[in-house]
Amino acid sequence: MNITVKLFATFRNGRFKMDHQDWPEGVDCRRIVASLGLTEEEIGIVLINGRHVPLDQVLGHGDTLSLFPLVGGG
Amino acid sequence: MLTEDQIARYSRHIILKEVGGKGQKKLFDGKVMIIGAGGLGSPIALYLAAAGVGTIGIADADVVDLSNLQRQVIHQTKDVGIAKVLSAKEKMLAINPELRVNTYEEWISAANISEIIKDYDFVIDGTDNFAAKFLINDACVLAGKPYSHGGILQFDGQTITIDPGKSPCYRCIFPTPPPKDAIPTCSTAGVIGVLPGVIGTIQATEAIKYLLGKGELLTGRLLTYSALRMRFREVPIKKSGKCPICGDHPTITQVVDELDALNVCDLEK
Repeated sequence: MNITVKLFATFRNGRFKMDHQDWPEGVDCRRIVASLGLTEEEIGIVLINGRHVPLDQVLGHGDTLSLFPLVGGG
Repeated sequence: MLTEDQIARYSRHIILKEVGGKGQKKLFDGKVMIIGAGGLGSPIALYLAAAGVGTIGIADADVVDLSNLQRQVIHQTKDVGIAKVLSAKEKMLAINPELRVNTYEEWISAANISEIIKDYDFVIDGTDNFAAKFLINDACVLAGKPYSHGGILQFDGQTITIDPGKSPCYRCIFPTPPPKDAIPTCSTAGVIGVLPGVIGTIQATEAIKYLLGKGELLTGRLLTYSALRMRFREVPIKKSGKCPICGDHPTITQVVDELDALNVCDLEK
């Protein structure tokens, strides 16, 4: 099934801004995060179709997954 | 009652129907605690002082370093080596001598946070590490104290206002802090100097609106800002039933230090 993956801020470095990817049914956000070479500790906000979800959320065909890094400076 | 000088000083506020003389009095009676006198804390402290927020607390144990001056606009070259809170207080009083500025030259911890925030109406997080950000969230949620969260790194910033009990908290979004060294800091990854000006000024705006009781607060939505792409986005956030502090079955019932989240540089201080 087709998933659109959008990366924000520093996650784009050496990766992409947006990518259309093919994933098997039942894939969750965690598996896609791992495939990007990102660790779970780095992940700030996970959105599916603009809604905040946990990492173990399962995606559906045509979903858009957006990943934002943690921002902790001041 | 406002004096003639106060009417002149705040005239551009007073002519706003959302402020007026009554609103200006509310600001003067207001008490805001700023935690961190660095990048975010600088514009926050300057604007709140200029706006006439009558009592402002500011906490930071650090001293001004030459590498701070590229973004920490409350500090000047002559201040290098002196306590940030004293440098900040001097500028705030230079802008507005009528204020009460309370300085706390210490790092916040589970041992002092509740006492530091207790007399203030609104708290602003201008800290640079996750241990402090989670500690501020926990202390404010447990005390029912509204606060503004802010974070910056490189070209990106984020901010959200938390009104405990009424809106989602920081832990509803991020249940636990990342382990130390998992996330780069401004000192290791850099930060564009104007970035804290944008985010800090939004945080100061929230404090002023809260004191005035006007407008809509930035609650239930995390505002993210990309300076490189010049984009603001709003991420809608819901209260989480699983939130460890404000969810259905809270596991955090008192403030504790998140030692695992301390950055190495914090431990050296």
